[in-house]
Amino acid sequence: MALAESTILQGLGVGLRSAVGEVWRVFPQAKLPAWTKTQTNKDAATAALRSAIAAVAADLDTLGARAGGESVEIFDALKVLLEDEELFAVASSNLDEGWRPAAAFGMAVNTFAELLEGDSAFAERVADLQDLSKRVQANLAGISMTLDLPQTGNIVLVGDDFSPADTAQFTAAVVGVVTINGGPTSHTSIICRSRSIPAVVSVAGANELQNGQQVLVDPVGDRVVVSGTVSDSTSAIEFVALSDEPIIPVRSNIGTLTDARAAAKTGADGVGLFRTELLYLNEKKPPSIEQQTAAFVEILNAAPSGPVVVRTIDAGGDKPVPFLPMSAEENPSLGVRGYRLIHEHRWFIEDQLKALEAARVASGRDVWVMAPMISSVPEAKEFCDLARSIGQFKVGIMVETPSISVLVADLKSIVDFISIGTNDLSQYLFAADRMNPGHGKLLTPWQPGLIRTLALIAAAGKTAGIPVGVCGESASDPLFAVVLAGLGVTAVSASPSQVDVVRTALSSVNLEQAKMVADRALSATSPEAAKENALNALAE
Amino acid sequence: MTYRETVRVLDPIGLHARPAGQIVKAVRDSGLEVQVASESGQVVSALSALRMLAMKVKTGETIEVLVENAEDSAAEALVAQIQEFLKG
Repeated sequence: MALAESTILQGLGVGLRSAVGEVWRVFPQAKLPAWTKTQTNKDAATAALRSAIAAVAADLDTLGARAGGESVEIFDALKVLLEDEELFAVASSNLDEGWRPAAAFGMAVNTFAELLEGDSAFAERVADLQDLSKRVQANLAGISMTLDLPQTGNIVLVGDDFSPADTAQFTAAVVGVVTINGGPTSHTSIICRSRSIPAVVSVAGANELQNGQQVLVDPVGDRVVVSGTVSDSTSAIEFVALSDEPIIPVRSNIGTLTDARAAAKTGADGVGLFRTELLYLNEKKPPSIEQQTAAFVEILNAAPSGPVVVRTIDAGGDKPVPFLPMSAEENPSLGVRGYRLIHEHRWFIEDQLKALEAARVASGRDVWVMAPMISSVPEAKEFCDLARSIGQFKVGIMVETPSISVLVADLKSIVDFISIGTNDLSQYLFAADRMNPGHGKLLTPWQPGLIRTLALIAAAGKTAGIPVGVCGESASDPLFAVVLAGLGVTAVSASPSQVDVVRTALSSVNLEQAKMVADRALSATSPEAAKENALNALAE
Repeated sequence: MTYRETVRVLDPIGLHARPAGQIVKAVRDSGLEVQVASESGQVVSALSALRMLAMKVKTGETIEVLVENAEDSAAEALVAQIQEFLKG
């Protein structure tokens, strides 16, 4: 049944521009034929399988070349798996048993998939292998796996989600993208953002869209409108600064010297999050205290004026640092991460603090330090005592575990400040893995469960006299930043590219108005209503 | 004659797809006959990334590289390359 005109499908928007085009459905490819055992000519079957593998390898080359950049490496790695000689040997012995080529190859892939099972590090490789298996089988059955998109026209691609092999085939005719699954950090979202293709992801209702229907992709409104036109699109809210200074300081997030320089060109009031681990990702050996000091001094000197809040190393099974051996974990985001490294690698955190103290003295900057992944008051105290014994810093912790979010009042006289990392706090609060593309909707900052938790943290901080900052992605959204200020957050930190828009938003309201916006957002029980309430309150 | 050398896996994710692919390419380019043995005694061809992955070698464990009928210098050079791939 076709959807009626003006039907609105809710999702999560990616981008600020809207687009109108004709729906182009991308369905999971046609069913592959069942595996059969009627092959009688081994030589012909071997030749057929070899040529199918060669054809898929050639496709991978084309896709890699078209996508360019880092994708070339991804497709090269897939080719190594596809052309593995032992994989062919297993397939060949299946041919000996009389299986037809598609079955022989599919079964060989299953054999290796079983061998690799039970190890989370290989889960993605197994998915890659199965995708290759389908491609070889499709080639043998004469089924096309390419998207065959038109080169001209205005089409809005609608599908479950798109793989790197799919997005590499996007043509100039693709003016918008709608996915049924996939969140704001999925591959599709990242590609659309980098190519400025308007997209709305996590649109459960998109399954009803039919080929040829005209739709409006309206990312700002987080929606797709059937038969909508550009004039129906939600305009990005335009904030007009009414004062020179924002109602709370807007700092910048940085990780490298380049970021520090970019942040210095904005109106940022210092740095709210300096992610130190980026300095170590390419180091094979632990850098000496002197090397670290030199790197810190350079960044501190380049950073925008104001305090610089430095986060000690936030590495773990999911963000490994080459010189700190960490064992593989079943659930890396619940494993040894962030401050928990203190048990096995205490020396490294101490080295970092020593280097930061030397850099603080050399640069004359106001350096604050904080530890990530703190989940108890004793952990907070242990870190603060350690940091104060090494340098003259303001000392604090990240609030990103639900356990510490309810203990903020008890951090009085232990910490000088706290900073909320909303990305991880959402992941742990909603028990929703950030890496799982199906969880997009649970992880939007507009979720009432998150907003109310932020309100509790801000209130506890106020009572205890502890400044409360927010340095997660959510603070880079100008409208949400107004809500944060209204909840009682005392500073926000955004990515360098967002600092000035967030500053403008926070200069367009007074604290009273921000509180009203926050109260309206707090009263909602769904993320859609929370955002709508905030927008309405702002318009009043 | 077999040249044998032990190599420790330092890569934080263990012997995973990227280094395995690099090993396959290096071995193919060298034209040598090379096998890899795990600590538990499994021996597989170094021309199969999948067989090497299936040994599930973790960070900190060692593998033994076995090179058949090669000049020592050629074998040493290849082992040095493999060690580099496994540093992560």
